Amino acid sequence: MASSFCSSIFMQAPISAKTTRFSLQKPVSIFNNRKTNLSFSLHRRSMPARLAVSCAVKQETVEKVSEIVKKQLSLTDDQKVTAGTKFTELGADSLDTVEIVMGLEEEFGITMAEERAKEIATVQQAAELIEELVQEKTA
Amino acid sequence: MRIRVMSQLQRSLSIELPSLVPLQLPSRMETHLWFIRPDEVKSTSLLKHYSQLLSPTEKEKVLQMRGDELKKNALLARTLVRATIARYQTNNAVDPKALMFKKNMYGKPEVDWQNYTNCNNPPLHFNISHTDSLIACGVTVHVPVGIDVEDKERKIKHDILAFAERFYSADEVKFLSTLPDPEVQRKEFIKLWTLKEAYVKALGKGFSAAPFNTFTIQSKVGTKGEYNLCKMTEMTASSLEETNKCDGEWKFSLLELDDSHYAAICIEDDEASGGAPMRVIVRKTIPFVEDELISESKLL
Repeated sequence: MASSFCSSIFMQAPISAKTTRFSLQKPVSIFNNRKTNLSFSLHRRSMPARLAVSCAVKQETVEKVSEIVKKQLSLTDDQKVTAGTKFTELGADSLDTVEIVMGLEEEFGITMAEERAKEIATVQQAAELIEELVQEKTA
Repeated sequence: MRIRVMSQLQRSLSIELPSLVPLQLPSRMETHLWFIRPDEVKSTSLLKHYSQLLSPTEKEKVLQMRGDELKKNALLARTLVRATIARYQTNNAVDPKALMFKKNMYGKPEVDWQNYTNCNNPPLHFNISHTDSLIACGVTVHVPVGIDVEDKERKIKHDILAFAERFYSADEVKFLSTLPDPEVQRKEFIKLWTLKEAYVKALGKGFSAAPFNTFTIQSKVGTKGEYNLCKMTEMTASSLEETNKCDGEWKFSLLELDDSHYAAICIEDDEASGGAPMRVIVRKTIPFVEDELISESKLL
């Protein structure tokens, strides 16, 4: 099962350059005399966006995702959907998950790689992935 | 043929559940497919008995399901797995409650035989699949198995070809686009889905090991219910075209269950099979209550 990407700074997507996991507690000086202290390369276009990602997603994104999920699974009013709700708890099977992904792609104008899409287990994870992809698109 | 097991106990299940009727193991290249219809299990006392078979983790998972119907189906799925596997222990009686499960490193569930020192434990493999109205469990020996079931009438909320173009292989899109009738197209789409899911589940290495658009499943010409798997190989430096490699490493079977569902089964081919097709024995069941052998499984 995919872990929430909030638990670690580096992304789940494959990165060909060596990645360095760094802790939030230690202050990292990025520029020192105009030279970088970082041991990994910053040449990848999307790196700055990744470093800047916050783990809090917009409530608006969570709500849009919840709406799409409710529609796909034909949920009743008493089946509440929150950020932490797992799709499987709502009775979603893999075909439902893929349809939800298609709905999200249409709504947000993004494309999710199949392997990542199928790993989405909660509304929160979907919202995080969406915001990451939207950010990459506009970066 | 319907086998009623201790039917008098059905009327009053306030006493213990009867012991399970043992089963003969599947032979090589044979899959036993068991299914249960949740709407046929109405007795709350039977469901209470079932819940006592589950491990604490399983009970917790059942309770996490949102809605009573989903809870009931989750309970029946675990019961189906435990009660069915326990029946195959032909040497010693196995208590379904005592069975332990673990996951392989990719998350595929399997039986954990660590508590049983009896070396005669058969190398049983199983896989389950659920829909709202039917839960199925496939069982094999020696070879991994994957199954997927879908309601025949399931409506896809997106355009079928757009969906296929997004997720299926180019050859499968080509095949689907040749079908003029939208209903036929929808049915073939669903059949393909179940076959592809069954393969990925049999492989047991997670979704990323076999993205849907990297392999094609097509029916074997001149057969009924037999399918081929063709994988896209990497483009070689010398050839600019992707080639399809079709191997017989995996066997497929697609059938219609109870007139309402498609069921796809995928097993790893045993070299000793000599290319013979997979045999499937289908049985409808209510654990501890009755089995019904479905003598004519409709191959598609």
